[in-house]
Amino acid sequence: MSKISEAFKNKKAFIPFVTCGDPDLETTKKILLELQKNGADLIELGIPFSDPTAEGPVIQGANLRALKNKITTDDIFSMVKDIRYDISLPMVFMTYANVVFSYGMDKFFDKCKEVGMDGIILPDVPFEEKNEFEIVADKYGIDFISMVAPTSDERIAKIASVAKGFIYIVSSLGVTGTRTQINGNVADIVSKIRETTDTPCAVGFGISTPEQAAKMADISDGAIVGSAIVRVIEVYGKDSPSHVGKLVSDLKSKFSA
Amino acid sequence: MAVIKLCGLSDGCDINVVNRLAPEYVGFVFYDKSIRNVTKEEARQLRANLNDSIKTVGVFVDAQKDVIRDLFNDGIIDVAQLHGNENESYINELKKLNIPVIKAFKVSDKDSLIRAKESPADMIMFDAGKGDGKSFDWSLLKGFDRKYFLAGGLAPENVKKAISELDPYGVDVSSGIETDGKKDVKKMEDFVGNARNDDNSKNGRFGIHGGQYIPETLMNAVIELEKAYNYYKNDPGFNRELEELLNDYAGRPSRLYFAEKMTKDLGGAKIYLKREDLNHTGSHKINNVLGQALLAKKMGKTRLIAETGAGQHGVATATAAALLGMECVVFMGKEDTDRQALNVYRMRLLGAEVIPVTTGTATLKDAVSEAMREWTRRIDDTHYCLGSVMGPHPFPTIVRDFQSVISKEIKHQILEKEGRLPDAVIACVGGGSNAMGSFYNFVKDKNVRLIGCEAAGRGIDTFETAATVNTGKIGIFHGMKSYFCQDEYGQIAPVYSISAGLDYPGVGPEHAYLHDIGRAEYVPVTDEEAVEAFEYLSRTEGIIPAIESAHAVAHAIKIAPTMKPDQIIVITISGRGDKDCAMIARYRGEDIHE
Repeated sequence: MSKISEAFKNKKAFIPFVTCGDPDLETTKKILLELQKNGADLIELGIPFSDPTAEGPVIQGANLRALKNKITTDDIFSMVKDIRYDISLPMVFMTYANVVFSYGMDKFFDKCKEVGMDGIILPDVPFEEKNEFEIVADKYGIDFISMVAPTSDERIAKIASVAKGFIYIVSSLGVTGTRTQINGNVADIVSKIRETTDTPCAVGFGISTPEQAAKMADISDGAIVGSAIVRVIEVYGKDSPSHVGKLVSDLKSKFSA
Repeated sequence: MAVIKLCGLSDGCDINVVNRLAPEYVGFVFYDKSIRNVTKEEARQLRANLNDSIKTVGVFVDAQKDVIRDLFNDGIIDVAQLHGNENESYINELKKLNIPVIKAFKVSDKDSLIRAKESPADMIMFDAGKGDGKSFDWSLLKGFDRKYFLAGGLAPENVKKAISELDPYGVDVSSGIETDGKKDVKKMEDFVGNARNDDNSKNGRFGIHGGQYIPETLMNAVIELEKAYNYYKNDPGFNRELEELLNDYAGRPSRLYFAEKMTKDLGGAKIYLKREDLNHTGSHKINNVLGQALLAKKMGKTRLIAETGAGQHGVATATAAALLGMECVVFMGKEDTDRQALNVYRMRLLGAEVIPVTTGTATLKDAVSEAMREWTRRIDDTHYCLGSVMGPHPFPTIVRDFQSVISKEIKHQILEKEGRLPDAVIACVGGGSNAMGSFYNFVKDKNVRLIGCEAAGRGIDTFETAATVNTGKIGIFHGMKSYFCQDEYGQIAPVYSISAGLDYPGVGPEHAYLHDIGRAEYVPVTDEEAVEAFEYLSRTEGIIPAIESAHAVAHAIKIAPTMKPDQIIVITISGRGDKDCAMIARYRGEDIHE
């Protein structure tokens, strides 16, 4: 059983996302500790990419701020290595295909294993292209996380049947970013996944309030929050860790036990 | 390339699908022990619905000859295929009735091969048994020197390999395209697709390049697009409509002009200009856009979105949208809206909304990213009209096919004027659509040099360049694997060129492949060389080329004098240069305002 499944064991998982190196890696470390302290069950760490095509303006901004600070993939591996002893939660990377591909697949996943990462999310690698990455990730015990979207329809069974770690349900059309309403047919997606597999599934894209988080976790196995957290980091910069802690605590407050 | 025979069609098989896939042959089994057996009346009905261009083969096992004769005389079958113990005299009797005969042989040993080779039948077929779908040891057939149909155990997965290893005259399939005893549309499509495909583009791959690296949200949209395209590309009605638009609206065929003064001045090869600048909207972009817009309309889409660099593709898309009554939104880098203000006005005049993109480098790359984001937001009614031979499959193939009219015309025109093919075809390459269109019908003519001219900006030894093949490395971006300008961590580089249309950090996957296999050359051309060529062509031939096309002209100026007077160069002038005049004036230190 992978470490990721511990995040979902007998509970709904709260999954926060942060972009590494925004505003700098020391602050990222402090934020990670706050996330753990305030009820995160699994952490999604973004490796910045110059052209993040699946992101809305908030996370795009975080990517560009981190890159402006000359943060590299190697810096992020070192940061994770440093903090891993203090973070007992499972952690996954979220980045783009070219970051992994250009680093060298074997080298990248070997490093992931070395620093204690548990999984990888690549929003620009769909089912049809995943083998190229997954075969190497498997070699190093890193779960390749699959995504399903409101448009996936008959693809859901195919994707879910071989999914590892957890299944990332994209709540609605479009890119990442907060939404006042989540219009996707999340409950339908979850029931289609359930017909195929018991692999846990968590919902992301557009969740920014405790109510939305609780509702999405309720109909699935967890809720992923990115832009709302990144926005707080954007506003408070180096002073953001305590603010992020408070936000996460709020966001999780309405979760059923 | 092998001909295709889809065998064992029976009642309930979707003839529309067969017509669309257009195999050369289909087979009807007249053998009552077969599960695929059809009656004469069933076969007559199937034949009636089948396109006339598809030949029908009756499959028999030791049947009465007059049964075969009647089916043939009634026009139900065109060919008889014999799977029993029919001997030479049996075959000869059918031949006397003018019935073409295919005789099937089991491949068991060398003796069976000798009998097959000496058979009086018009054509022979090798099978593992009585059409039981099993495969046999193909190595027995290596070096066999008579044309034959290959059958037995063929399926979508192995047909490509079979064709490349054995090079048979034709491939025959029945159980390999069935699921639970019924013909399976997907398997039929895959079988025909794989059997036909000899240009390495399976699943949208060109060698290792291409693919579909896009968010899951978009996957069904590109799958739907691929299906629609595969359907309409063979649809006579669609092609007629598109041809009418290209000819009567866009002004095709474009001229192939002999640049006599330039030829004399350079003192080497004869130079011809393919005048895509004379198309409606002033560039080659209209070829692709009319095709995609018409396709989108057939798919029931009401809204087009597009990215644009110099504005040529945006203007073409806005034009097609106006013509076909569709909504249009164009994403354009803020930097480019400033460089190409006139085109922004043209798009708005045509009824399109232009959204300046301020993220990243605020150029073409960012416009593509933003258009992709917009597509994930709104898919149902929206088609992303991608402007180059790039992005996720099937875009590189669709755009190439719509642009290949350029090389189709060049070939025809140059044969008419010179009675021979050119020695070199030269075109500029950003994403690479006019180049791919100019190259495509010459790829198999190995004596025609294909030269793509990349924007080197201030030079390939500087950071201010957009020469992807010359300075980039392999990566994955904007839906495709190809060459990209990037740093050691895979961050996409902020590229630079004076030409907004070539200012892109990647190149289409088919160009990457043509580079890998050495079929095309990709050369860098600097801003300064391009501007000089822009001025040269204006002065020498009275043709003001787009600054993009001037990159191709610049390279021709370099190589023409090194070639012999009986050699021929064709340069594609992808667009006209009016849009660039103010900018070139500024480059030369003259401040003029549009």
